[in-house]
Amino acid sequence: MKKDKLKIGIYELTGCAGDALLILDCEDELINIFHAADIRSFLMAKSDNIDGELDVALVEGSVSTERDLQELLDIRKRSKVLVAIGLCATAGGNQAAFLDPREWEDNLKKVYGRTEMTHTKPLQSKPLNAYVKVDHYLPGCPIDREQFLSTLTRLLAGHPPELHRFPVCVECKWRENDCLLNRGILCLGPLTAAGCRAVCPSHNLPCVGCWGPAEEANYTAEYQLLMEKGFDREMILRKMSTFSGTAIADFAARIRGVKK
Amino acid sequence: MRIVKLKKEYFHPFLDVISRQAELWAPVKKGDKHIFDRVEDFNRIEMKTTRTLLPPKKLLVPPAFNTFTFNAEGYQEDLSHVSSKILFGIHPCDIHGLLTLDKLFMHEYTDPYYVKARQKTLILGLSCWPDEYCFAKSTRTHIIDEGFDLFFTDLEDFFLVWVGSSQGDDLLRMKPDLFEETLSDSDIQRYIRWQTERDKAYRTEINFMAMPDLMELKYKAPFWEEAGRACLACGSCSMVCPTCNCYNVLDKLALGGKPGRRLRLWDSCTLVEYSEVAGGENFREHKADRLRLWYTHKLQAYVSKYGKPSCVGCGRCLVTCPVEINVRTISKALEGEDPKAFWYRLPSEVKP
Repeated sequence: MKKDKLKIGIYELTGCAGDALLILDCEDELINIFHAADIRSFLMAKSDNIDGELDVALVEGSVSTERDLQELLDIRKRSKVLVAIGLCATAGGNQAAFLDPREWEDNLKKVYGRTEMTHTKPLQSKPLNAYVKVDHYLPGCPIDREQFLSTLTRLLAGHPPELHRFPVCVECKWRENDCLLNRGILCLGPLTAAGCRAVCPSHNLPCVGCWGPAEEANYTAEYQLLMEKGFDREMILRKMSTFSGTAIADFAARIRGVKK
Repeated sequence: MRIVKLKKEYFHPFLDVISRQAELWAPVKKGDKHIFDRVEDFNRIEMKTTRTLLPPKKLLVPPAFNTFTFNAEGYQEDLSHVSSKILFGIHPCDIHGLLTLDKLFMHEYTDPYYVKARQKTLILGLSCWPDEYCFAKSTRTHIIDEGFDLFFTDLEDFFLVWVGSSQGDDLLRMKPDLFEETLSDSDIQRYIRWQTERDKAYRTEINFMAMPDLMELKYKAPFWEEAGRACLACGSCSMVCPTCNCYNVLDKLALGGKPGRRLRLWDSCTLVEYSEVAGGENFREHKADRLRLWYTHKLQAYVSKYGKPSCVGCGRCLVTCPVEINVRTISKALEGEDPKAFWYRLPSEVKP
């Protein structure tokens, strides 16, 4: 008897939809994906979407509105396994880079003028795990094709995904690059989750952190190191916070707090 | 051991003959550093280098490679990283590094991926001159009397070439008229003078004799916690170390009936996942514990099993770790000296 195909839903909360687009961009594999799994819902790819029970939900985007939140809670309730895909879902994304709730409110007013929205209430952007249990994280901005396929195939086989848990530096050494930090360049490799095959440092460009914080991101040591190399405090914090989402909030508040 | 003389002008003609037999790999420039690379234009070879970014272990067990492909019927071994290679320009410390890997991969439990690559690789060593980060004299790995097929000592106008194996001898026999069998007394004196001067040039010294005891006596010293707090847990020290050999194994599945692949990836005991077991328990959750493990292995445990440290004094950890956690700073801290290392400069007010 043939095993039932895994029921999968792909959802987008607040983000650029780049992760869903990347899945669509797996052109050579698309037929295989649709053949191997029962794709119940995938707004970017098809119109006959069914929002029922799911084996696996892949959710991109951050929770930035009340509507996002209600959708996420609903997806979580219907899904056995929930995977956060892309930086916005795993860490909060660029939109979560506001460090102070007051700063966020000021910005909201500055951008939108009036804050009473018509169809949903804005929330300060947060990653999925601020509200629901997340089973697996697939980082990247956007996610990487190869990492997505290896995650998906393992889920289809009933195994948990195995993604790198170390920072970019490991992959950077595998490619035998000369360390940019040691050359006095502001590189965020040590803070950033691996999986990109160190693509930027391999082209002599510093890591900007777009895979989000590595599991053991040591902000204190990197900050001190960059200060000793003569970088400006605000510049360091700005660079660090671009792709760190909410993960850096405590650290940045502490740095700013003690130095005031 | 047979020792012959090769005039500098005959060096490229010699490479020309032997590189028809196998791929020639040698140090070349990458930015202002060096790497081992496949060489067809001999002018690219850098003769006066210090350490390469990665040690030659990368050619025997690549950082990330496929070990076999598999499907429901069975598996097929993938040995595509194995090819006939001649490695020229390996310094004594790196040859010692390979000898250490031989002990681990070729004796008690043989590793076919290493053994097959190693058997097809000829080692042509080259003498070197230390910089401020080399401490191979302290590890007694600045001299070498095994582990090479040929060893070239560069004495400016000519090389003295030590023949270390019958395969090395076979290489010379491919073009015997390039080599001189008789050495004059002035040639010999020149070598002795060069060696004396070279030995005096080491500026970093570490007392490795004391390290096994110090590792035990200072196992609970507070500096471990401090160093652990500074550690970026980036694994770079292990990646660049000639004797670090741990690896992870990862299965990649595929869609559409295509075979899966079992990858082998360089790993490090300084990474968070290394000591984690099923159920999520982690025996070395704290970075300080992982650093202590790394240094126990290098400075103590290997000594009790093999009678020497598994550090070969190449200095790569000194030039690589961005936060100054290396064999020099740790051994200084073990000796009770203040190494003025980065970990003491971490601001305490931003303690995470």
